[in-house]
Amino acid sequence: MGKYVLTRSLQGLLTLWLVTVAVFFLVRLTGNPINFLVSPEASPEDRQRLIEEYGFDKSYWEQYIVYNKNFLQGKFGESLRWDSRDGFEVFVDRLPATIQLTLAAMIFSIAVGVTLGVLSATNPDSLFDRVGKVVAILGQSMPVFWVGILMILVFAVYFKVLPAGGSIERLGWKAIVLPAVTLGWLFVAAHMRIVRSSMLEVLDSEYIKMIRAKGLPRRLVIWKHALKNASIPIFTLFMVNFAQLISGAVVTETIFGWPGIGRLLVDSIFVRDFAVAQTVVFFGAGFIVAINLTVDIIYGLLDPRIRVAQ
Amino acid sequence: MAAISEQPFGTEPPLAPATPPDRVQSAMAAAGNVRNAMRGVPKFSFFYLAVIIIVTIFAPWIAPFDPIKTEPTNILSEPTWGQHLLGTDHLGRDILSRIIYGARISVVVGFMAVIISGALGTLIALLSGVARGWVDTILMRLTDGFLALPYLMVAVTVIAILGAGLWKVIFVIALLRWMTYARIIRGEVLTLMQMDYIRLARVAGASNTRIIFRHITPNVFNTLLVLGTLEVGLAIIAEASLSYLGLGIPRPQPSWGTMLAESQEWVFVAWWLPMVPGVAITLLVMSFNLMGDWLRDRTDPTRRQL
Repeated sequence: MGKYVLTRSLQGLLTLWLVTVAVFFLVRLTGNPINFLVSPEASPEDRQRLIEEYGFDKSYWEQYIVYNKNFLQGKFGESLRWDSRDGFEVFVDRLPATIQLTLAAMIFSIAVGVTLGVLSATNPDSLFDRVGKVVAILGQSMPVFWVGILMILVFAVYFKVLPAGGSIERLGWKAIVLPAVTLGWLFVAAHMRIVRSSMLEVLDSEYIKMIRAKGLPRRLVIWKHALKNASIPIFTLFMVNFAQLISGAVVTETIFGWPGIGRLLVDSIFVRDFAVAQTVVFFGAGFIVAINLTVDIIYGLLDPRIRVAQ
Repeated sequence: MAAISEQPFGTEPPLAPATPPDRVQSAMAAAGNVRNAMRGVPKFSFFYLAVIIIVTIFAPWIAPFDPIKTEPTNILSEPTWGQHLLGTDHLGRDILSRIIYGARISVVVGFMAVIISGALGTLIALLSGVARGWVDTILMRLTDGFLALPYLMVAVTVIAILGAGLWKVIFVIALLRWMTYARIIRGEVLTLMQMDYIRLARVAGASNTRIIFRHITPNVFNTLLVLGTLEVGLAIIAEASLSYLGLGIPRPQPSWGTMLAESQEWVFVAWWLPMVPGVAITLLVMSFNLMGDWLRDRTDPTRRQL
């Protein structure tokens, strides 16, 4: 097990290193990065001063060493927009809003996904099953931002019950409902499908028939025994999707003006604040790597066959 | 669409009769083949895709108005029969015409991104499945690395660096979506490499190149086709998302994502602004998904439950 955790962790670190290399080269891909760091109206002296300050006049090799050194010291570069604070600080400021949003979205998609999935697996061809199928097809086909706009149209414009945007600080908990449902919607279908298929598989097994024959109430059989045993693949998908949600937050936060890291990324890009943008991308990737690692380790603990197959 | 409808997937058409049939008979046989190949096709999806593709090709002849011509005296007019069929937007542009030209962008991005990422993914899968060893290790680590990227965040950043534009959008989507093909097709290649006919080909002295192109590629083609069809929808949504964020197709070109972004400001007064492009894109993505599901069921009945 120790060896398994170690190799997995090393692979995770390798991935993160690849991300830093990719960022380094991407920023330099189009020639001189100073071109998108300063506005085209800047005077030639200012340009020159910034080139020297950022070290873009040195060779790529030297730049790469400096880049790594800053990186290891936790310096992600000064933000151009936020009073020269470090990119990391700006990122940390905005992180809680995104965590609130993704957690709420995750709870919504799990609640709806699991309920619909279990109901449609246990009542084939019932109303739930049909609703579930429609939800699954629509969930894959509707772009997040259209769902968001529809939510605004229905609940903010027509019924006027929920705000069309804003943050928890300004508008209270009401503000999180529409963004969370919009973001969570993306995964309701995925969660429903996996719950349905794992439940169908479990319900077909011998021990379920045994406890049903024993006379256990149907409710207990389904929600306690079957769901518990169906939950390994479900749990894995939840974790993996949670990581994906962070990335999906870019669009949702933009629709609703939610002050999280996704909107921070988009805003930074429009004002060419690449120190912040690079921080967001790096930690976004870091988060996915961490989640994947956790899933792998838990999976390895639960199912010894996986660590051997390694 | 003729090329697809004539080609049966999975099941072979019934053998032609030995005696040369007359014209009516052969026409009937051909119709039978087509009917056989199209059995169970999702009708609505097929119809919608056909309409969209025709519209894409003949956009300049079909669109009733110029999609970027503004009409300041006629802004935000409701859909009316005989005039602006689907209404006008906040600059007085005809929404139907913009939808028609927008379909072009969606279809081109969807197909091109999938072709490029499919080719890239298949190439990597073939290399790593046939070469094995350290090549395989490196390529699969690379695939894992790309899979761990926060997809949309990276896309947004790269587009911001490269600048907006149709081909850059296609390139970025392709670059971030090849991993699915690489993984699944590599798995298939590994299975195929264990088969006796490949070993026999080796014994017969076939080179790696010949094995790859003559013996492996035709056998992974079905999978590639199914994966590709399912991925078109994702690529279309990705383009629309980038355009929605203002980083995809530059304005005033009528991408559906841009139309939705512009509609958001006017959602309080004009419900048709977000509805029309939203429905168009949802139906298009849904049609590709359903066609993909259908193709998968046709080509591989064992995976029907997935």
